Amino acid sequence: MVDPSLIGREISLELFRQMLRLRRMEEALIAEYHPADEMRCPIHFCVGQEAVPAALSLLLKPEDYLFSHHRTHGYYFAKGAPQRELFAEIYGRATGANGGLAGSQDISHTESRFFGGAILAGAVCIAAGAAFGLQHQKAKGISVAGFGEGATDEGAFWEAVNHAGAKRLPILFVVENNRYATFSDQLKRQQTDNIAERVAPFGIKSQTIFGNDAPLVWKTLSEALNSVRNGSGPALVEAYTYRLNSHVGPEDDGFNKYRPQREIDFWKRNCPIVLLRQKLEKLDWIDDGEVSRMESEIAAEIAECFAFAKNSPFPSEANWHSRNFSNATPVADALLAEVESTDFNPSQGEAKLAPY
Amino acid sequence: MNRSISYAEAIREATDQALGLSNQVIVLGQLVDTPSGIFGTTTGLAAKHGADRVQDYPVSENLMTAAALGAALTGLRPVVCHQRLDFMIYSMDAITNWLALWRFKSNGKSSVPVTIRAIVGKGWGQGPQHSKSLHAWFAHLPGLRVAMPATAFDAKGLLLESIFGEDPTIIIEGRGLFSMKEEVPEKPYRVRFGKALVRRAGRDATLVALGSMVPPAMRAAEILAKEGVSVEVVDPRTISPLDRQTILESVAKTGRLVVAEPGWQSFGAAAEIVSMATEAIGSDFKSNPVRVAFPDSHTPMSMALEKIYYPGELEIAEAIRRTLKKS
Repeated sequence: MVDPSLIGREISLELFRQMLRLRRMEEALIAEYHPADEMRCPIHFCVGQEAVPAALSLLLKPEDYLFSHHRTHGYYFAKGAPQRELFAEIYGRATGANGGLAGSQDISHTESRFFGGAILAGAVCIAAGAAFGLQHQKAKGISVAGFGEGATDEGAFWEAVNHAGAKRLPILFVVENNRYATFSDQLKRQQTDNIAERVAPFGIKSQTIFGNDAPLVWKTLSEALNSVRNGSGPALVEAYTYRLNSHVGPEDDGFNKYRPQREIDFWKRNCPIVLLRQKLEKLDWIDDGEVSRMESEIAAEIAECFAFAKNSPFPSEANWHSRNFSNATPVADALLAEVESTDFNPSQGEAKLAPY
Repeated sequence: MNRSISYAEAIREATDQALGLSNQVIVLGQLVDTPSGIFGTTTGLAAKHGADRVQDYPVSENLMTAAALGAALTGLRPVVCHQRLDFMIYSMDAITNWLALWRFKSNGKSSVPVTIRAIVGKGWGQGPQHSKSLHAWFAHLPGLRVAMPATAFDAKGLLLESIFGEDPTIIIEGRGLFSMKEEVPEKPYRVRFGKALVRRAGRDATLVALGSMVPPAMRAAEILAKEGVSVEVVDPRTISPLDRQTILESVAKTGRLVVAEPGWQSFGAAAEIVSMATEAIGSDFKSNPVRVAFPDSHTPMSMALEKIYYPGELEIAEAIRRTLKKS
């Protein structure tokens, strides 16, 4: 555990505020989900997993790219994308981050360089490509891939790790290891649970941490990001954490009996917000008055997000073709000539294939 | 003024010119930096433009395609090369779940101009794992452009149009076409997507031919011309988007339709073209449309069976004769 005094009062308080903000947003969405039934898309809430997103929100720069899996809200938040566009997106409104086309699990915010998606390691590979693009163009910024331990079941993840290591790509892999791929325990799926150890031989600077100790998470991510920014090659941080809500949606999925109650109770006692608040109170850096000031600011922001979403229009135009294809080719127009087709002589034999 | 160069040389020239026209262009693929250079289509380009721009890639096809997408987000225009389309199947997640729907799910804010070159083997025992075309799979996906250039002229123009366009594109290159020569302008030019070419005008029947079926289709039209039958040969050049109008105009004129496709018959591109025409002119057909495609079977290795498996100009000509008899 890292003492908040090591990272300073200002950062510690901001970490706490951002975690609280994310927690309250998720709780508000959960509370509003039923019976209103106005949010009609799968949502994978991240209650209990606030430490990594909150720390990233303080550490990422506008030029950085961030890619995430289906549990998107924390990462969307981490990149500073506008929260009200997240709410509007979930409500399927035209003002949503993606005009209501993507929903919670597929949300992206191009201007913020945040891209989510539901097919796990696919996003990690795209993140490696963004890192390659930045490296190739000697551009500012790095690429960050946020995912769960479930994504490391997929072969595509290891393709990305192999390439990142071989090319010394400017990428930070962040594994939020919450132990379960939906309802399946990591140790049912993998021989061991230490992903950080397994990526090391690929040339990835990696470490494992307790992911609910927010100051530790901030300090570790800060150092790893600096190392990647300084050109020292790829890094991976594996943060052990826990999702307190169900895998998807607000309903309780406990009937699947995939995790013992005492395990859930342990992580509730050790949730990142509870842990940091205890430490901040001990240092006398926070009191009930300060927390309730934060709470009322957050409540006002959430009310504004709901109002924006609910008062926004639904998308109406089909436009199927232009939603899927570009209507313009400005670069081709500028660079390529129009010429007449030439005649083709069809009486030529096909290519003789060599042994290879 | 124009020189005659081969299909493979035309691809190489287009790639060379694209690399020269814009620093955003990069070429990725296994062995693209070797002297053999993907059957001569990338030979010498790494030496000329740098090994960082013409980059050998690990045998990680899914990563390669996804990484091209990621690189496109940072402003690059990657060209991904697969010596055999069959290996590209490893990248179906990147293509199907990400690349094809990237523009859609970003609500038009994010473009990913990735060009994927997929070479389809044919003959000399390529067998079931080196000869699948699968163009119809890709054309089934919204958001992907699919080109099937049949000639050196189209191979160059469509590749340049793909690289400097804004949508992800798969170019299906028939390996058998690589040696075929044609007059090709030296300057960088475009062949637009969704613009079919009437390669031969005719009155009696419309013959739509795709990709590597275009040369045998042209030969079939010549055979029939000697029999007094006038065949109009339409080459769509791209199947997504498909120039439906040119095909329909031709069919409206001739009243007969044969579609030649270098792929399995069931659920293929020819099926789509026949359906589309049937929906449009229905009972105005003078005879039933006919598909000439590969049997619904995997490709045999044996040269004896290859000869039976692949339809050529004789089968196409026979199909057209059938449509004429029924009138």
